[in-house]
Amino acid sequence: MRASVATRSLVGGPSLGRATLVIGGALVVFLASVVVAVGLGSVEVGLPEAIGIIGQRLGLPVTETWAATAPTILFEVRLPRVLAGALVGAGLGGAGVVFQALLRNPMADPYVIGTAAGASLGAVLAITAPVLVPALALGAGTAWLGIGLAQVLAFAGGLGAVALVLVIARQGGRSNVVTLLLTGYAVSSLLAAVVALLLVSSGRALASVVGWLLGSLGGAGYPELAVAAPLVLGGSAWLLVRWRTLNLLLLGDEAAAGLGVDLVPARRGLVLLATLVTSAAVALAGTIGFVGLVVPHLVRLAIGPDHRLLLPVSCLGGAALLVLADMAARLVGGVPVGVVTALIGAPFFLWLLHRAAGATTTP
Amino acid sequence: MPARRIRAFAPFLLILAVACQPASPSPSPPKPSMAPSAGAYPLVLTDDAGRQVTLPAEPERIVSLAPSNTEIACALDACDRLVGVTDFDDYPAEVAEIPDVVILAVVDIELVVDADPDLILAAGNELTPSAVITQLTDLGYPVLVLYPASLDQVLENIELIGEAINAREQADSLTADLRARIAAVGDAVTGAARPRTFYEVSVFAGTIYTAGRDSFLASLIELAGGDPITGDALTFAIALEDLLVADPELILLGDAAYDPSVTPEAVSARQGWGAISAVQNGRVVVMLADPVITRPGPRIVDGLEALARAIHLDRFD
Repeated sequence: MRASVATRSLVGGPSLGRATLVIGGALVVFLASVVVAVGLGSVEVGLPEAIGIIGQRLGLPVTETWAATAPTILFEVRLPRVLAGALVGAGLGGAGVVFQALLRNPMADPYVIGTAAGASLGAVLAITAPVLVPALALGAGTAWLGIGLAQVLAFAGGLGAVALVLVIARQGGRSNVVTLLLTGYAVSSLLAAVVALLLVSSGRALASVVGWLLGSLGGAGYPELAVAAPLVLGGSAWLLVRWRTLNLLLLGDEAAAGLGVDLVPARRGLVLLATLVTSAAVALAGTIGFVGLVVPHLVRLAIGPDHRLLLPVSCLGGAALLVLADMAARLVGGVPVGVVTALIGAPFFLWLLHRAAGATTTP
Repeated sequence: MPARRIRAFAPFLLILAVACQPASPSPSPPKPSMAPSAGAYPLVLTDDAGRQVTLPAEPERIVSLAPSNTEIACALDACDRLVGVTDFDDYPAEVAEIPDVVILAVVDIELVVDADPDLILAAGNELTPSAVITQLTDLGYPVLVLYPASLDQVLENIELIGEAINAREQADSLTADLRARIAAVGDAVTGAARPRTFYEVSVFAGTIYTAGRDSFLASLIELAGGDPITGDALTFAIALEDLLVADPELILLGDAAYDPSVTPEAVSARQGWGAISAVQNGRVVVMLADPVITRPGPRIVDGLEALARAIHLDRFD
């Protein structure tokens, strides 16, 4: 009886009222995080001033009560960084959900089958090339459409590494989840070794390389956002459309086949889409950890495993978490945002896990 | 671990020269014959990154993103025009009063914008990350990137900043003074035997870091009358085996300036180091002057003098 209800709700979706409530709530949390994060920073811009500055931008007749630098700080420095945090957090949160479903593995995150290692190799190559080959120093700083070489190569590296993993994992017939995971692990290790080799010989670029590997939202401007946003948002929307397939994946290949769905081609499409989203997010901000692994779990603990809600709420939750974590990093100064996500997120996650475990053992 | 590693590198990353920099100051605009303060602006300068930087008027609000730039600005009597510095800045003492806009080696763009600068003095060679230079330039600030790869280029940088902030006379008299002191060091060590000199930048997790091949630090040791033993040009590391083969006659402990546990006794107790001539002959010297040796500001000549004294004590009174 219970099982049939669960199956029905997994395939048929939640009631409209609950969906509206849950997604609406997540949207409110996300928007609130954006407002708070734009309002706080190392330079204080008061709320009345901020409202006045926005009013002036909208063409309203407002008397200037703020420092001449305040609009620049709000619109040119803080807002793009907050938007980048939202975009990267949304991408990682959503892609994390998809990878956990695809691989039926709670330890899976968006980086697990090679995206992070490939993207790191691309970015680190771009940063260290002028050091290793002095002739290339002349070309450093060139940008396509306002996008730096490191971002372009990170995006290509993420996609390339996963493509390589898929090709290798397919050898010898149809790939299964375990082969895919192990292949991803092996390829990641190989690429990480090359990254480490470049790291020790990066000389003066060492600080830039380490900064990229730790992840930072500071370098993202509007041109980068304009390219990354369609990739992340478009990819996530496309994934959301396939929520039924994601739900079926939870049942396993045989059960899905029993319902008349062949999951093998479906799975490959999902891997590529989620990799596209992840690579765009990583290219924008470096390898920020924790968000893609833990946000899906947090959301699943709160609202259950149905992807129709889990995916959009994880996107919004990941966005809110990263926006707030980056705000904390900005306020403290000099702290990588990935450190903040783990420092605040991990204890919270442990507490939730503990509570969930308690709830299942007590009748 | 990476953060510690960066910290260990930070001082001498500053002075490492790997690639040739087009470092000469720009072909200066025609000098006004009488009053250099009038009519010189707008001024177009070429910085060490080869970028054209336009200054519409004499800078009154200067942000410095590196301690060496701060020291140069202050040596040119422009300390009171600095509106933002780094949390590493410690000289001259009055810079402690100036707000920090670089915290733990990270440039806080909001604080830079809030300081409302009309000139930003950045460091080249990724010391100020190129992404930050691009971002600040895009925000419309004149960003002058300074990256001296040799002692001569430090002097050129002083003249370039002097030109930028309309302190050319102070810059000329400062560099004339520094040139005379550099020449005096050269005279003092001329003809003396050049001891094989190993400068220890740091020893971290068993890896020995020193002056890289063709680096700024190596060139300073040469100017001070030593024959520098160098490490890899990129990693600045030297294997203990290579160090033993090179057999330094003199060891200078730059890291002793920051870590009191680095002493000549501790060095001679290290596994394998007892075979080195310098250790056997008691020629292991603590270099408390490391901060000025590795900071390409006006005090680098103090550093050169300290090096020359350590290498050729007999030539100085």
